[in-house]
Amino acid sequence: MTANCSACVPSSDMATAAQAEGVEMQTLQREKSQSTPEVHADPQAGRLAMAGDSYPENSYEFFHEIVTWVETYLRDTDQPLHLELRLAYLNTSSVRAMLDIFDLLQAAHEEGQGVSVDWLYHPRNERVADLAEEFREDCTFPFEIKPDQPE
Amino acid sequence: MRPSRPRTYSEDEFIRDIERQLADPRLAENELRPALKGLLEICATQREQLERVIRISDGFQSMALTEQRSLAEECERHLRRLEKLTRISDRYQDSLRDLKMALEEAALQDPLTGLGNRRQLTEQMSAEIDRATRKGTSLNLALLDIDRFKTVNDTHGHEVGDQLLCLIADTIRDNLREYDTCGRWGGEEFVVLLPDTDREQAATVCERVRHGIETIEPLPGMEEDRPITASIGITAVQPGEAWSLALKRADDLLLKAKQSGRNQLLFADADAGNTS
Repeated sequence: MTANCSACVPSSDMATAAQAEGVEMQTLQREKSQSTPEVHADPQAGRLAMAGDSYPENSYEFFHEIVTWVETYLRDTDQPLHLELRLAYLNTSSVRAMLDIFDLLQAAHEEGQGVSVDWLYHPRNERVADLAEEFREDCTFPFEIKPDQPE
Repeated sequence: MRPSRPRTYSEDEFIRDIERQLADPRLAENELRPALKGLLEICATQREQLERVIRISDGFQSMALTEQRSLAEECERHLRRLEKLTRISDRYQDSLRDLKMALEEAALQDPLTGLGNRRQLTEQMSAEIDRATRKGTSLNLALLDIDRFKTVNDTHGHEVGDQLLCLIADTIRDNLREYDTCGRWGGEEFVVLLPDTDREQAATVCERVRHGIETIEPLPGMEEDRPITASIGITAVQPGEAWSLALKRADDLLLKAKQSGRNQLLFADADAGNTS
């Protein structure tokens, strides 16, 4: 098999190579809506950012692709994943979805993958910090809760 | 009572004994020997089988036990998670409820004086009129305006004006009865609602308010000014009447009070002709 003929490389090998470089993963970009936060998932940077309030009518639909993205990223790469959260209000099913995501991070952390969370809150709304602490309770990976500095 | 048996051989001792006897050359010719030998073989096979069965069934049992434990753990984990979810969700709801209360307060309160604002006053006027109509009691409405307030703002600045408005609001509130209500209608205008009150009582209360305002300690720098005074128009609200009509009547009386020298109450019955 000649090395300069990429078409000759078996497709499964190509997939593995692509996954290792994180090319396979899609960037996920969702604009903020009235009831859903802005979402930006960047596999190249290993970063997932969410900002805003979350009380979608169909939270399963909204969170499914985010949870799947996290799951796929953690499974297919050994690169670290960093979450940057600026979430203010969450309804019950959104809380549940976030617990699912943190469970995935915890499992990856226990497997030795680098995961971390920054939960940023508006200095005027300290109750968000208390809530973030509730989320952090069972997590042993780096999980910081800090006031959001205006840029 | 069970009869106590003499201590018997253990199974192993018994088998070893038989093996010894089978091996004994002196008993080689014994006619029971082949039968005993066959019996011993059957016994050994059965023992082996029994042990296998026990081993297998032990295996199943421990597997079932492990499964049961892991199910219990899973159940426990889910329960903890549900509790966490509930706790977090409750806290989100609490903060929403607090926010709602703060918004309601902000929507109904005048931020400067802490009195009810125009929105709250219109709700209170409607409610009091409904109540008085239903119960057949008398209700009086007073509109109060601070005399020459613009001069205060122009001479001493708005900050002093605001300070004075707060003092006036406190003075009005302090001179009312427990069930009277007052609010800031706008600028330097205040509305007072006097339920279950006849004309004479209303006059007494409003006179107390007027006097209270007149005797407010001057603010620093205002000692040389003429004392702060207020003019008040008071009207008896008619059963089932729209608040805007009653308020209009009070406003007309207030204007007359201003025109005829300020710092006074003017009173009217529902029929505007009967002014005192």
